[in-house]
Amino acid sequence: MWKFLLPFAAFIALAVLFAFGLNPKRDIHALPSPLIGKPAPSIALTDVMDPARPVNNAEFKGQVYIVNVWGTWCEACREEHAALLEIAQQKVVPIIGLVYQDQREKAKQWLEQLGNPYSAVAFDTDGRTAIDWGVYGAPETFLVDSRGRIIYKFISPMTPEVWQREFLPRIAAARGAGA
Amino acid sequence: MGVLGGALARAVEANGPLDANGQLQDPALQARFERVVKDLRCLVCQNESIADSNVELASDLRRQVREMLVAGKSDDEIFDFMTDRYGEFVRFNPPVDRKTALIWGAPFIVLLLGVVIIVRIVRGRSRMPLDDEPSPGPL
Repeated sequence: MWKFLLPFAAFIALAVLFAFGLNPKRDIHALPSPLIGKPAPSIALTDVMDPARPVNNAEFKGQVYIVNVWGTWCEACREEHAALLEIAQQKVVPIIGLVYQDQREKAKQWLEQLGNPYSAVAFDTDGRTAIDWGVYGAPETFLVDSRGRIIYKFISPMTPEVWQREFLPRIAAARGAGA
Repeated sequence: MGVLGGALARAVEANGPLDANGQLQDPALQARFERVVKDLRCLVCQNESIADSNVELASDLRRQVREMLVAGKSDDEIFDFMTDRYGEFVRFNPPVDRKTALIWGAPFIVLLLGVVIIVRIVRGRSRMPLDDEPSPGPL
């Protein structure tokens, strides 16, 4: 009996494996972050608009906030910008921008032309802060809870749907937990 | 290491840790640097190491490795620094532990399975009557 069942079972196992492995919706470049559940690394940089003004995520401690990594070289960042503006309008959580591998002037122009959804925009001059956050591309969006822990990372352009589906429930849960 | 460290510290003070070719002045350190960066994946290009890749992230990470070596960190400390931020995937040679045991063990499991299957088939055949034996049936 097992002689007939075994190939069948092997076929099912392979089919399940392929269903997950070859799923075209699965982004093979999206890697799970080991930083989930860990304290958010510090951002101690200066404002993109004004090099004299410091930007520090310690100021946001005690509230749920978002860190959005972007650069003017990144087409997908342009794509998600409208969604970020819309999210900022809802005033649910502050958004900290982290400008990555870019020039101050270009980033400044970008914000002046497209609008500024950020509560603060930090300029990462040498990529060190990005390394601490495990950033390997843009856009990347992190959700930090009120205890200062990273609870979620989204790798891809932000959209209103993603915001509704992935972020809002997590923000509500983080607040509901009294954390 | 004491003498080496002292010499290195002086070299760092003199012209920074790099020589004219952009290599670490201490050849032993440079050799370790080359080994370490070959084992770190460039996460932007994924199938290249940060030694081979030209993207900005790879050069940032090479700088990080160089600085940690000069600061006297061990190879393991550097790998830990990278996996803490980027996950095990950043290493081309992940260490054998509980999470990676299946990956490292899979070839041996498959080999064992193959041996078991072959043994069963051979045993089954050896119990079958040979073709040229006279058939015991009536004819």
